[in-house]
Amino acid sequence: MKTVIIKECDGIEIPDVYTFDLNKEAVKNCIGCWSCWWKTPGRCTFADLNEFYHHYITADKAIYFANVTKGFVSGNLKTLFDRMIPLYLPYTTYKTGESMHVPRYENYPDIEFYYEGNFERTSSRQIFEDYINRVFYQFYSKNIIIKPIREFADKGDSK
Amino acid sequence: MKTIILNGSPKGKSKKSNSQIFAEKFIEKMENPCEIKCIANNSSEELAHYIKDYDTIIFILPLYIHAMPGIVMKFIEELEPATYEGKHIGFIVQAGFIETAQHKYLERYFEELARQLNYGYLGTVVKGEAAGIYMYPQMFKKVLKLISNLGVAFEKTHAFDKEIVERLARPYELSKLKLIILRLINKVGLGNIGWHKMLRKNNSMDKRLDRPFL
Ligand SMILES: Cc1cc2nc3c(=O)[nH]c(=O)nc-3n(C[C@H](O)[C@H](O)[C@H](O)COP(=O)(O)O)c2cc1C
Repeated sequence: MKTVIIKECDGIEIPDVYTFDLNKEAVKNCIGCWSCWWKTPGRCTFADLNEFYHHYITADKAIYFANVTKGFVSGNLKTLFDRMIPLYLPYTTYKTGESMHVPRYENYPDIEFYYEGNFERTSSRQIFEDYINRVFYQFYSKNIIIKPIREFADKGDSK
Repeated sequence: MKTIILNGSPKGKSKKSNSQIFAEKFIEKMENPCEIKCIANNSSEELAHYIKDYDTIIFILPLYIHAMPGIVMKFIEELEPATYEGKHIGFIVQAGFIETAQHKYLERYFEELARQLNYGYLGTVVKGEAAGIYMYPQMFKKVLKLISNLGVAFEKTHAFDKEIVERLARPYELSKLKLIILRLINKVGLGNIGWHKMLRKNNSMDKRLDRPFL
């Protein structure tokens, strides 16, 4: 089983796993040019994520360690989400009763999404979790787990 | 009341940005048109400082992966809560997909953000099926007229006109009939005509289903 890690929280080091550190990599912002759909299908006009794309799309599981920022995902992580568009086809399907893009690849990794940070209210947490869930649902990840980061630590202890 | 409009499209001040087209339409018929600034063409830090002089901020932006583009979130990170009452914030979000239920995650977050920032929340105006506006503006005359009327009403009342907002938000979901039609259009291959025209123009038709990262 292949796992990849995408992290922006401090203090998380998992040896021997491909780790994409959002604090170290300056991910270029999507510029909305549509090259990845119209000109070079499946490839972004920027090459900075090529290695990441390969690891991500060939992984069985992607584990995120995200910082809650103003009640949402950070701008850096949001940029990474935007840059996932080349992994999907431009075509729209209505199979589920709503508009969705058609997958470009056969498989997408399952998701474990751990977040660090507090919410002012229960409803704020719900807004955040619903959003993350929706993102990976439309990204065709089959199993999606979203939890506060302490639950990842607890899981480690019980092993 | 001083209002500033921020275009959140990564295309910035471009004729190809639907958000920019919306922004220009929004102020077109105002007596005193508001200033428009583009997040993509400014440093977030400087822009966050610049807008402190304004009572009201209106973001006009594209929906990106069910939310705001990364650059807009980077800008939001720079915003500080208002230190006095009476500041307002509102949003106009346009997107590619037809149904505006696609916007609901972002709408909920924007309302929450307004509260966090201690700004009065003017609401989030949503419009689907907007990706082609810059290519075929003639086909979207009605929509652009509504945006212009929205701006006129805003200048008078400092609020988004309910009736216009409701019209722009239609349809919220795809009706059974609409789904049947859309599926049929896809089945006979009509849904892809526009894409295939683009791909042919770029000599990449045969590569359209490529999986370069396996
Ligand atoms: C990276 C990316 C992500 C997008 N995500 C969505 C989406 O989740 N839902 C949607 O309906 N449209 C989505 N769109 C389409 C844009 O919202 C639409 O094309 C919009 O009109 C662009 O506005 P602009 O020209 O001002 O940049 C996305 C476009 C891009 C480039």
